[in-house]
Amino acid sequence: MTQSGGDIKTVSKDKQPGAIAQFRASLAGRLLVSAILWSSVALVIGGIVLSFAFRSYVLSDVDKRLEILLDTLVGISEVSPEGEFRFNQPLADQRFLAPYSGWYWQVSEAGQEPKRSRSLWDFALDPGHESRNFSLRYSITAGPDGQTLRQAEHDIILPEAERVFHYQVATDMAEVQAAIDRFNWLLFSALALILITVTLALVLQVSYGLRPLRRIKRDLTDVRTGRSARLKSADDVRMPEDLRPLVDEINGLIDQNDKLLDRARTHVGNLAHALKTPLSIIQNEVDGKGDKGSELIARQTKDIRVHVDHHLKRARIAGGGTGPGLEVKARVEKLVKAVKVIAGDKALQTSVTCPDDLSFDGEKQDFDELLGNIIENAAKWAVTKLTIKAIRLEEGLRRPMLEIRVEDDGPGVPEEEREALFNRGTRLDEQVPGTGLGLAIVRDIADMYGGSVSLSTAGLGGLAVTILLPAK
Amino acid sequence: MRILIVEDDATLAGQIADNLKDAGYTYDVAPDGEEGHFLGDTEPYDAVILDLGLPIMDGASVLKKWRADGREMPVLILTARDSWTDKVEGLDAGADDYLAKPFVVEELLARLRALIRRSAGQTSPVLEVGPVRLDTRNSRVSVDGAPIKLTAQEFKLLSYLMHHDGKVISRTELTEHIYDQDFDKDSNTIEVFVNRIRKKLGVPVIQTVRGLGYRLEWGGEPA
Repeated sequence: MTQSGGDIKTVSKDKQPGAIAQFRASLAGRLLVSAILWSSVALVIGGIVLSFAFRSYVLSDVDKRLEILLDTLVGISEVSPEGEFRFNQPLADQRFLAPYSGWYWQVSEAGQEPKRSRSLWDFALDPGHESRNFSLRYSITAGPDGQTLRQAEHDIILPEAERVFHYQVATDMAEVQAAIDRFNWLLFSALALILITVTLALVLQVSYGLRPLRRIKRDLTDVRTGRSARLKSADDVRMPEDLRPLVDEINGLIDQNDKLLDRARTHVGNLAHALKTPLSIIQNEVDGKGDKGSELIARQTKDIRVHVDHHLKRARIAGGGTGPGLEVKARVEKLVKAVKVIAGDKALQTSVTCPDDLSFDGEKQDFDELLGNIIENAAKWAVTKLTIKAIRLEEGLRRPMLEIRVEDDGPGVPEEEREALFNRGTRLDEQVPGTGLGLAIVRDIADMYGGSVSLSTAGLGGLAVTILLPAK
Repeated sequence: MRILIVEDDATLAGQIADNLKDAGYTYDVAPDGEEGHFLGDTEPYDAVILDLGLPIMDGASVLKKWRADGREMPVLILTARDSWTDKVEGLDAGADDYLAKPFVVEELLARLRALIRRSAGQTSPVLEVGPVRLDTRNSRVSVDGAPIKLTAQEFKLLSYLMHHDGKVISRTELTEHIYDQDFDKDSNTIEVFVNRIRKKLGVPVIQTVRGLGYRLEWGGEPA
């Protein structure tokens, strides 16, 4: 799970535009990008709403305190019989005494020197006597020492004297602003943390959720490259129920494809085989008769035979890895035995060297056709000796391979003529019977399995054929 | 030499039969697996040409049954199925040789000759007993290098004896191997043939083993 999450992050970090576009087009990309987009939008909106609510709350709290202060101030105000404005009890709050403390009050009357809190020191709030307003008003105004003040003010007519006094109470906004800022900072860091956590959780969730799909993709690759015959995930109990029908359908398709291929192959085989008996009859009927017509028929029959053989052999190549694999040693020994029987009287010394556990990852038919042709060819040219060595190659290869080397002590083939042996219908010596299709089909089969066939000079002096094939 | 041909295509079977006859063989033809199996099981053949794709019972089953019942005559499989897997399976079933269709009759005859020779324990295509030579490749007989003319029946008989030189061969065995199944077998004719061959060869290689039959043996210069 963690590992898969890592994969996705690597992709998104990739700066190549192609890779990014590819990621965004992927299912994981779509899910991630849209989920992250939506959660970001939701978190930002939530953050703005919360921040705004907090600010209103803090401000209304400040305003309430200012209003209470203003009421207190009005409550202790009186006008003496001498007509002098005064407080009938002291406003004993330290905050109004210390200069520039951040808490201020001021009572003023048009044309008079205003009464101010000591904290204002040498500063005076703007009384705004131009207009009368008996309702409570709040405003932001400039204060002493560069402070920004929240101010509550209203005009009052004191009952003792029919005179208008302007009351102002103010407090420094710096503290409030700091609280708001602190709150916002906390809020947005918390939201950012939530976004990161949610993103990580999404990456994990998407990668975990899409894991069965990646598994199917891997299995399909295995099927295509011949490493397995069907989707292995069908047998996995952890495969989610909603994907199981898909897996089963794909397997059904593979089976159907195999069946069609099989049927086509059988049809080609049947056709080719059905042609062979009439061909034998025609060939034998005209064989040895010297007239022109017979010769023509003989030649054409031979051509038909070459075509039939070629296409039959090609159609027979299955070229796919399957489950069990084929034991190389036992099969090679059987083929050698068959070749020796067919070679008849020729006394051949054969030796087969092969590890007991070496297996070919493919079809028996293909292996037989490939090795059978090569061994038969070697037996045809060998004087007395024929050796077959098989080994497993593993180092530095993407998949395990096996190497089979067939050598004979015959005349060999000059280097410049070797490639021609692989051409269809080429025979270097028409004296030795054979259709000349052997090595062409050998190369076709090897290619089909992603292997190879190469020719060199044998240690015994004759031709050495080296075959590479996938091992199990 | 008596050969069984098990082949369902009548034309092809006929062609093979004609060529076998020309080459001095006796033959029987079975058109399906069942009859083929029965003939191979009851008659003593020197070799069998067996098609794999047969009606009623396929060739591989016929062969397996013969081998399971201890019938050891050499069998050459003749088939359109020429993949190596088919070859390995055919030989595994107990065949001694394998020839793929389409084929040329000469090749079939050459393989058949070699097959019969090998199964009789002969390694060379030229059989020799004392001064008598029989070349299986061209059916020629000579004594001390001088060619001898034999009739088809005489050649069949001598050839059988030469393939099994040193062994005692009964008259019945000779009859069975040089006549096909429809022939009215009369072992007295064998005696007539043997005497004619003795005269033509002029050297005493055919010994009579009283009450048992004949043995081909060269005991040195004639007295």
